[in-house]
This record gives sequence, C-alpha cells and structure tokens, in this order.
Amino acid sequence: MVDALTRSMRASHVLVAILVAASLAVAAFGVATNDTFYLRLATEALIFAGLALSVDILLGYTGLLSLGQALYFGLGAYLSALVLMVIPSFWAAFAATAVVAALAGLIGGFIVNRVRGVYFALITFGMAQVAAKIVYNTRALGASDGLIGVPVININLGIASVSSASPAGFFLFVLALIVILYALSAYLLDTPFGRLLIALRANEARIPFLGYRTMTPRLVAYVLAAMVAALSGALYPMLRGFVSPELFFFATSGNAVITVVTGGAGTLVGALYGSVLLTVLKSVIGSYTEHHLIVIGLLFMGAVIFLPKGLMGSVRPLIERMLAREPKQ
Amino acid sequence: MTQKRTAILAALLSATALSGAYAADPIKIGVVTPLSGTYAGIGQQVKWGLELATKEVNAAGGIMGRQVELTFEDEEANPSVAVQKADKLFQVGKVDFLTGTVNSGSTLAVGQVAERAGKLIATTVSFADSITADKCSPNVFRVNARAGQQSSALAVWLSKEKPKAQVFYLGPDYEMGRSTVAAFKSSAEKVGANSTGEVFAPLDSKDYTQYFGQLRAAKPQVLYTSVAGNDTVRLFTQLQEFGLLNNLTVVGASGTVTAQNLGAIGKAAEGFVTGVGYSAEIDTPENKKFVAAFKAANKSDPDLYGADSYGLIYAYKAAVEKAKATDTDKVRAAFKDLKWMTPQGEKTLRGGDHQAVQTMYVVKVTGGKFTIVGQVKGEDAIGPDTCTRF
Repeated sequence: MVDALTRSMRASHVLVAILVAASLAVAAFGVATNDTFYLRLATEALIFAGLALSVDILLGYTGLLSLGQALYFGLGAYLSALVLMVIPSFWAAFAATAVVAALAGLIGGFIVNRVRGVYFALITFGMAQVAAKIVYNTRALGASDGLIGVPVININLGIASVSSASPAGFFLFVLALIVILYALSAYLLDTPFGRLLIALRANEARIPFLGYRTMTPRLVAYVLAAMVAALSGALYPMLRGFVSPELFFFATSGNAVITVVTGGAGTLVGALYGSVLLTVLKSVIGSYTEHHLIVIGLLFMGAVIFLPKGLMGSVRPLIERMLAREPKQ
Repeated sequence: MTQKRTAILAALLSATALSGAYAADPIKIGVVTPLSGTYAGIGQQVKWGLELATKEVNAAGGIMGRQVELTFEDEEANPSVAVQKADKLFQVGKVDFLTGTVNSGSTLAVGQVAERAGKLIATTVSFADSITADKCSPNVFRVNARAGQQSSALAVWLSKEKPKAQVFYLGPDYEMGRSTVAAFKSSAEKVGANSTGEVFAPLDSKDYTQYFGQLRAAKPQVLYTSVAGNDTVRLFTQLQEFGLLNNLTVVGASGTVTAQNLGAIGKAAEGFVTGVGYSAEIDTPENKKFVAAFKAANKSDPDLYGADSYGLIYAYKAAVEKAKATDTDKVRAAFKDLKWMTPQGEKTLRGGDHQAVQTMYVVKVTGGKFTIVGQVKGEDAIGPDTCTRF
C-alpha cells in the first residue's frame, strides 16, 4: 500500500513519461523536417526547466522562496564556459560545475539559512545581485559584454558521441540529463528526508519536537537546489556558445519562479511543463507584438487566480485517481 | 479542340515566362533590436531609420529589382534573447542579412550566431571597440563610429584648440567608465596633452564636491568626464555652484550630455564639448534632405542611431549590387573597402576590421543647443586596425 505522497510522486513520473514521449516525437519531427531553430528552442526550454526544478525543490518542498536562483545558474554557465574554452570536454566542465556549485551552495546556504520567510527571499535576491554586479564589472570575465567563443564540443558517451552543434542530438542529450536531475531530486524527496522537508514547509516550529534538527535538512535542500541550477546552467554555453551577465540578473530568477508557479509548485514535473509552455509562448508572442511582457504577465495572473495549484497541480490529481484505481482491476 | 489546348498551353507558358521575369522574391533583412525596456528609445530610432531607407529604396525599384522586406524581433537588450531571435530569423525567417543589435554583448553574441549560420550582420549602434578589434568576426560589420573614433576626434580637436593642455579626468567607477577614461587619456596624451590626475566616483553619486579639492589642486585647463544621465546633472550643477567652471573647458563622452539631460543641466552645460559620428545639425544637402524626410515620416528628429541605421540599408544595397548576389561570401567581398553615401557624408568600410571610417564631428553646447564646432577627417580619427582574425 502506498501513501498519498508516494502516489502523487508516481503521478508526476507518469507526466514526465508523457513529456519525454512528446519530446521524442518532436525530435523525430525535427529531424524529418531538417529543423534547427525549434529544436534549439526546445533545448533552451529544457535548460531553463532545470533552473525551475531547483526553485521548486526550495519553494514547493521546503517552502523557501528563492529570488536569486540565477546566482547558481549563472555560476554554472560561466564556469562551464571558462572550462570549455581551456579544455573542450563536457565531462571536465560538468565535474567542475558540480564541485564548485556544491561548495558555493554550502557557503550560500550558511548565509541565507540564518533567516526565514521574506528575509530569506531578500537575501537570496541580494546575493544574486552582488554576483551579477561583480561579473558585470570584471574584465577577465568579459564584463558587460560577456564571453563569446565557447567552442562546439563532442560529448563522449562511451558508446557514442554527441556534438553540441547537432540540434536533435544535443536536444536528446539535454532531455536525458534533465530527466536524470528530475529523477534524482524526485528520489531524494520521496525518502524520509523529503518528508522532513515537507514537514518543514508545513510547520517548522514543530520539527524539533519530533526529534529532528531543522538546519541540516534546510541546508541539504539548498545545496541540492544550487547543484541542480548550476548543472542546468552548465548546459547553456554548450547550446548557445556564449555567456553574458544577464544570466545572473533578476529576470532569470524571476522567470524561474513564474515558471514554477504557473506549472505547479511542489510537483517537480510542473517546472518542466511550465518552462516548455513559457519559452514557447514568449518566442511566439514576441514575434507578433512588442508588448509580449504584458501578455505573459496577464497569463501569470490568470494562472494564479484560476489555477492556484498551477497547471500540473490541477492535472496531477486525475492521474493519481487513475493510479489509485489500478490495483482493484 | 487541339486549338483550344494549344491556346491554354500558350497562356500557361506565357504566365510562367512572366513569373520568370518577375523572379524577384524580396530580399529579407532581419532586425533584432530592443523594442521594449530601457533601450526601447534607441530601438525606436533604429526602426525608424531602417524603415525610411527601405521605403526609399523600394520606391526606387529595390535592390537589383528585388524589393526589400524588414522583419523585426524584440531582443529586450538581453543577449540571451537576442541569440534566440537571431536564430529564428536565420533558420525560420531565412533572412539574407541581419542588423539592429544595440548593446555590445548582444552584437558580439549574435555575431557568433551569424558566423555559425554562415550569414552576415551589421550593427548600427554598438560602441565597444572590441567588436571590430580583438573580438572581430569575419561575419560582423559596423557602420557607426566606435568609441575610439569619438575620443580621438575629441583629442584631435583639443590639441588644436588647447595645445599641450593640462587635463583632469573624472569617470564613473565601473568597467565601462574606467575604460572610456583610459581610452581618451591615451589619445589625448598622444597629441600632446598632459594628465594631471584622475578620480573615479561611484555610479549614482549624490555629492561630487568631495573630489573638487583634488580637481583644484591639479589646476587643469580641461576636465574630461564620462559620467552619464542624472550623474551628469549633479556633477555639472555642483561644479557651477563651486565656481569651478570659470576658465575650465569641460569635454566628455558622447553619452555624457544628451538631449535627455540637457534641459536639467541648464546653463551649467554651456561650453561642453564632445565628439560624435552624427549630428542633425550637419550642414550638407544630403543631411538636410534626410532630416526633412525623417521628420515627415516620424514626427521626431533623427539622432545618430537613426542616421546610421538609415545609412546601413544603402551600404547593403551598394554591396549587393556590386556582388550581384546575396550570398554571404560574395557580399562580404563586396563590403570590403566599400564606399557609400550617408547623411553624414561618404563612409568607407575598412576591409581589415570591418569598421566604418567616417568624418567625425566635434559639437559644443551653445545657447542650450549642440552646434558643430569642428570636423575631424576619418583617417585621423580611426586608429590602427588591430583585428587579427581575418
């Protein structure tokens, strides 16, 4: 017998499977029509889905609103770009990002976890702004111009290799990575540790009475989110060949929060669907009117008012009911 | 029956022959420019300039008999958005040429997209020297004057008006501020000026009087500053209140005093001198015609962005007509050392680094308006070609 939380996590897995199936269909269609632009746009949507996923680990599970998750996304992107320009190897860039992000997340976590609620949001926001300003004014990092000239790389997967310039190949590779990041996060959040995070969100004052420390799980969740964000960011320069300080800006962090709220906070899969939806909408609406930000803003308000649980928060219960029915048949 | 069939066949044939003669698909030019956000004002001028020139070219029969079609995309002055939109225009819109990027980060990033897509782009706005120097690309052209041209024009004027001047520098304390001061300092020293000191004030400083002691002690004849926006307003009014503007010539970057803050600075701006690539005041028949047409179409004066964007369409027209094709390699070859006419006179695209060489103007605030006080020949302001990639 599975409990409600495990069942809703399984419902999320079903929704991810649907997304993967749809993505494979898109990739096949893209290859058939020799498309480049839409496959790269979809890849970018998946990369930003990784960032949104990290926001959901904090917001949806631990109840921490981070307004500065772009700090780790940008960190991953810059680090990956710098490593790739010296050693054009995916694994070197990925390993370096993972190690540095864990350290940065630990340091950042010690700073931000001293406070709660709105102060947490403000400090995460402030830290990202400080990082953005430093990068913006450091000539060695390209200052306001950013860094161009990140080489096209061949990702060695042992049995095969994928070029970051191949639209379909790199799309599938990013899809696999983001699904792995999702699976790892989902696995962790379904363990007793995950239950502890949910309890933290519900009522932090009670946790010590149950015999748990509150600082450790908060810190672990923060470091996990930092690593997910940074590893997603590391993919960005491979796709576009450059990084710029705008990746650190509030627009990036804010977009991730909007993505999670629209997609459904606390579902993990909502981050993925939300990112695909928003990226595609922005690209399409942006070509028709320069007032696209108003349209996105209205959609966001509409989502908050009419779908307070977000897109996936409204769809997932249906899947849960189907899953609950199955054993009887 | 057979007669009828041949008649239909003949009609069909003539129809295809006709469409063959018209075989003129439009030439597509993509424009990725900020239409929303902080730089929307610049994007607006870019749009107006390009649209006016396109209308004129199309009315006169297009380029090699083909009409020109512009497609606009909003880049929000964000390089990440700009590359996505550029990719869309190249891959889906199948544009032949691309322009419009404003901030240097976007131009550099979009230049790389163009390189990988095998297409050409040109910027009509970005100032950063690097675009046609150490970060030059075979697929990127610049038709406007870069920062180095503006500061050398000003330095050349300074050496004539105030030979061996004592110069003091006051810049905003961030990367761009420091690099503009460093650039002007080196061009001024090259033409004989003496530097008496430099100081950097934080962005958004409320009080500049704390630096005035240093300024007075240095006894300069000339003050160079590259602060911008409201910082300029505070700096200039405080300088005036302290009586430091007497016997001091204030010169600066082209963005220091603009139409936007000139009114707020008021009398304190009087006598300010800067170097620019275009001014609506240029007294030539070409420019007067352009300004009149621009005003009629947009009910607003053109600024340098509008003028340079207008000029670009004619550069592209000249290059395509010279190349007799729109292929990347042929057009690139045609752009090499191309000479063409613009509202600010003849420009030359230097083959070595793809930078436009043009007459530079020195303007001075007199009676609350910019007036042209000097011209510097293109060759004197351009500086060496430092591009090593092609």
